[in-house]
Amino acid sequence: MVPHRLVVVRERGFDVRSFGTGTHVKLPGPAPDKPNIYDFKTTYEQMYNDLVRKDKELYTQNGILHMLDRNKRIKTRPERFQSCKEQFDLVITCEERVYDQVLEDLNSREQESLQPVHVINVDIQDNHEEATLGAFLICELCQCIQHTDDMENEMDELLQEFEEKSQRPFLHTVCFY
Amino acid sequence: MASGVGEQAHGSVASQFYSNEEETAFDMTTSEKVVELLNQAALISTEEKLIVLKQVQELIINKDPSLLDNFLDEIIAFQTDKSIEVRKFVIGFIEEACKRDNELLLRLIANLNMLMRDESVNVVKKAILTLTQLYKVALQVSLSVSDMQEACWDMMTQIKEDVLALLDSDNDGVRTHAIKFTESLIITLSPRTPDSDTPKKQEGDISLDKIPKDHTYIRYDTLCEEGKSALEQLLKFMVHPAISSINLTTALGSLATLARQRPMFMSEVVQAYETLHANLPPTLAKSQVSSVRKNLKLHLVSVLKHPSSVDFQGQISTLLLDLGMSQSEITRCTPATVQPRKRLHHDNALFVLADAPLAEDDEDKEEPAPVVTPKPSSSVGTQSAIDLTAEFLLPLLTPDNVANLVLISMVYLPEVMPASFQATYTPVESAGTDAQIKHLARLMATQMTGAGLGPGLELCKARDEEVKEEDGGAGESSSKDPLIIRKLSAVSLGQAISVVGAPAAYKTPITEEAPQIKKLPEPILPTSQPKAPGASGRKKVFKLADVVQPFSEAQIEKLSNMAIKRILLSEKVIAQSGMSHVRVKLLARLVTQFEGGKKNDLLQFILEDMRGRSELAFSLLYHEYNEYLSQQPSGSLDSYEHCLYTLLSGLQEKPEQRDGLFTKLVLEAPVITDSALEVIQRYCEDESRVYLGMSTLKELILKRPSRQYQYLNVLLNLSSHEKEKVRSTALSFIKRMYEKEHLKDCIEKFALTYMQFLVHPNPPSLLFGAGEDTEVASPWTEETVRQCLYLYLSLLPLNHRLVHELAAVYTEAIADIKRSVLRVIEQPIRGMGMSSPDLLLLVENCPKGAETLVTRCLHILTDKVPPSPELVERVRDLYHKRVPDVRFLIPVINGLEKNEVIQALPKLIKLNPIVVKEVFNRLLGTQHSEGSSSMSPLTPGELLIALHNIDSSKCDMKSIIKATNLCFGEKNVYTSEVLAVVMQQLMEQTPLPILLMRTVIQSLTMYPRLAGFVMNILARLILKQVWKYPKVWEGFVKCCQRTKPQSYNVLLQLPPPQLPNILS
Repeated sequence: MVPHRLVVVRERGFDVRSFGTGTHVKLPGPAPDKPNIYDFKTTYEQMYNDLVRKDKELYTQNGILHMLDRNKRIKTRPERFQSCKEQFDLVITCEERVYDQVLEDLNSREQESLQPVHVINVDIQDNHEEATLGAFLICELCQCIQHTDDMENEMDELLQEFEEKSQRPFLHTVCFY
Repeated sequence: MASGVGEQAHGSVASQFYSNEEETAFDMTTSEKVVELLNQAALISTEEKLIVLKQVQELIINKDPSLLDNFLDEIIAFQTDKSIEVRKFVIGFIEEACKRDNELLLRLIANLNMLMRDESVNVVKKAILTLTQLYKVALQVSLSVSDMQEACWDMMTQIKEDVLALLDSDNDGVRTHAIKFTESLIITLSPRTPDSDTPKKQEGDISLDKIPKDHTYIRYDTLCEEGKSALEQLLKFMVHPAISSINLTTALGSLATLARQRPMFMSEVVQAYETLHANLPPTLAKSQVSSVRKNLKLHLVSVLKHPSSVDFQGQISTLLLDLGMSQSEITRCTPATVQPRKRLHHDNALFVLADAPLAEDDEDKEEPAPVVTPKPSSSVGTQSAIDLTAEFLLPLLTPDNVANLVLISMVYLPEVMPASFQATYTPVESAGTDAQIKHLARLMATQMTGAGLGPGLELCKARDEEVKEEDGGAGESSSKDPLIIRKLSAVSLGQAISVVGAPAAYKTPITEEAPQIKKLPEPILPTSQPKAPGASGRKKVFKLADVVQPFSEAQIEKLSNMAIKRILLSEKVIAQSGMSHVRVKLLARLVTQFEGGKKNDLLQFILEDMRGRSELAFSLLYHEYNEYLSQQPSGSLDSYEHCLYTLLSGLQEKPEQRDGLFTKLVLEAPVITDSALEVIQRYCEDESRVYLGMSTLKELILKRPSRQYQYLNVLLNLSSHEKEKVRSTALSFIKRMYEKEHLKDCIEKFALTYMQFLVHPNPPSLLFGAGEDTEVASPWTEETVRQCLYLYLSLLPLNHRLVHELAAVYTEAIADIKRSVLRVIEQPIRGMGMSSPDLLLLVENCPKGAETLVTRCLHILTDKVPPSPELVERVRDLYHKRVPDVRFLIPVINGLEKNEVIQALPKLIKLNPIVVKEVFNRLLGTQHSEGSSSMSPLTPGELLIALHNIDSSKCDMKSIIKATNLCFGEKNVYTSEVLAVVMQQLMEQTPLPILLMRTVIQSLTMYPRLAGFVMNILARLILKQVWKYPKVWEGFVKCCQRTKPQSYNVLLQLPPPQLPNILS
């Protein structure tokens, strides 16, 4: 669901990329213990076709097909954060587990440019309502960050403000490329 | 091709550039392409500029690095761009360029230094990032020796200090970057060891172990010490109570990197982690504490995975357990080690937890420490301090004491539980057990050592001293401390210089070094020995005064000269930016405030292109004058004068200009000083510029009334200049100015003063120029006389009254002067004309002694024009009433009455033959071809008759004969007809004129065909009894003799008595 939230951000004018961090792409299946698993080489198109073939009604109902349809218009296939060698200024994760993975990955890379990258985690429950709220929260956070003159200097304060407002803990750290 | 362009036109600007590039790639060299892109970049918006600049970077760094050098300056010029992004690009470019060609750093370091002081933190941060990379490059470059590189290295060292100082910056991000810089610095400035965990890409990087120990200015020991000092700074930074969570996170990461890449620092790192864990900053919010703890865990794990962590596995495990990691996870991360036990011994006091392998260490306690192999000496102190204090505390932690401590501490507890405490607190499970007490002791010891307390710390200090004393003598490792201290001071000295980029002779310390190490290691110690670890307090406050020394006068002079020169030379660049007025003002102000050389440099510079730099010239001049005004009343004009003088004379030396710059400069200068006036005078004396000079002078006279007489005087002096052109120009200017009423007097006075010189026996020295001011005994010459009169004579036609002054001077002057005067007055007198009342008055009054002058005037006036009645009247009066000199009459003779002329004739013909000739010329009209003869009161015939009738008592016969001869000489006038009439009339007179027959004979000789007529005369004379006039008779006889045989007929008519007279 992570890409879903970040798409919102893109439409509001940020230069945003979405990534997965796991070893595979998992999509909800017919039961919680039976997810659909794809590797990162699979295109959204292929996933879409696969799910249509498996159970079109189910996946239309739970919105997965809709999501895949939208995603494939943005890019051909999901990307894995660990495989991306581009440098970012800010990484936002929506789950502490993902945050840890990102940190682990970034820290395991060989430092080179020492360009800092801020990593922020906002815990968002994986359900529809939370996702929508979380999407707006992240979007607002990004806007605020974009409006700062000096992101690094004001980030701390900003996050504390958001924390208070949203009543959610934010994890925040900085890593270096 | 065309359609391709059309399609592209709709695309983004960026794509256009790319397409342009592709299109032109065929016929353009890379160099041309770069030029074109750079030209574009100057004109377009920031976003596009960045795209273009990046293209340029690609071209000259990767595609064709040979161009790098050519276009370096152009790219670097963007460092002053308004856009932050562009400035950041420049920094990135510098980095890439220096990495491509390390030597470029020598040229670019100063720019980097500048950019590091940029007002935008984002630029500063980028600069720090780049410096992190380039510090290594600088070190690499510096390993090959040269002066230039030493300066570069000095500057880099200075910059390094500056970045370290930024650990105290107000900006969080800047601090973050500074931490990363410090990390990289420490790695570079420490040796890589076999157990170092080096990233692949950094394998080629330089580090301390690659520094030769015999380098001229890069000192191994200094660098080593700098590295350690940086580490200490970092550690101090970390324990700052108000550190931000991001900084803390960054520092934690840096420490982990250090521990892995430089295991020699493992103990410090673990120590720092421990301290931090026990003392999380109270300022952190709850979520920040979680973030930090998460990081701490992450980094601890990464350190633990490093093989060299074996000695610290116990401590790390304890921490990780506290951070919520399970034992199994910890074990999974612990590297398999060969002999973990033995290594653990050293830190025996640490392991308080009930960890199975560690619990046994009591029994090994006695084992000697030396088993431990690569223990970095510096860590011993700190670690032992905590150990010792913990040991000291352990027996004291009785239940009573602990209870008391708790009670006392209650007072200091904060109202709200700090987030850090809340996060780290775990209920004490095994309270009261030995292990727990040891753990507590250690925790307290850590705190105490951190606060600089405890017996362990003191012991350590004492021991350190001992160690150092021992080391002073010998051993490789021992040399570091004392030497480093010396070097530090040397470096700080070098830094002071590097700021201004003048690599001066600061190499001396090197030569003194060796002996000093042995002699005096210790006294220097206290001054810069880094504080004992754990001692609280921050890095020594940076004081500029400590590291810089005042420049010598000469240096200041040199540097300021160079600075001004740079401003001077930037003329074109600034002009293009449209800010030249600022430059002009700046230069003028700067230069005005300095003495000497700069001023001359600037003036020289202006004179190189006076036309183009006139604005600068004026600005400078005004500033100088302003300076003078501001120092009133004691101010001196010298400086201003020098400036004006140099400019004016500089102009004079240049080939002639027609742009009036000289005039403009003179007229717009606030004050014309004496020396400036001299230059103007020189201009006037220069034949090629005389007109320019004088018209400028004229403007000055007319427009600067306050000193107009001074200026006028210059012009007046020039009126007697020896050069004709100068003189005549001056005179014509003066004449024009003479029309001004207020100047008239002055000019007149001057003219008259000069004329008055003529009464002196010798010409005054003034006439020979300023150089010869002694009285000169030379006689008057034509030339000197003229000099005195030029001005006067040119004024005379304008003011006729002046003529009387001339007469007064004339009467007193010596004969030579008189002659000269008579020669020179012709033009002006003619100019005055005979109708001039003053001239008439002069004639009328004719002062005594001025007769020749008046005569000369009359001659001049009547030379070509017949005299006017007024003039004739005056002359007649003069002649009759005062000076009866007949010579006066000559000029006006044609204006006289007939009888007057006849009366004067006897006197006239007695004059000098030349004068007589002139008189006759006038009377006969033979002087000039013009019709003045018609004005003659006498016809030629009448004249001749008058001559015959002159009374011989008034005039001797000889003069009369001569006069008649003059008449006969004029054959054109005295034709046979005229002569016939004359003879006829004379013959009819009674008595007969004495010269009658002479004239007859003369006429006959001239005109033989008159013979018939003469016969007739002769016959008539017989009737008049010619024999009664002896002289005439004599002539009669002669005539008859000459004319025989015709005369026979006449002879026959003679009465008989007279006939024999003839025949005999």
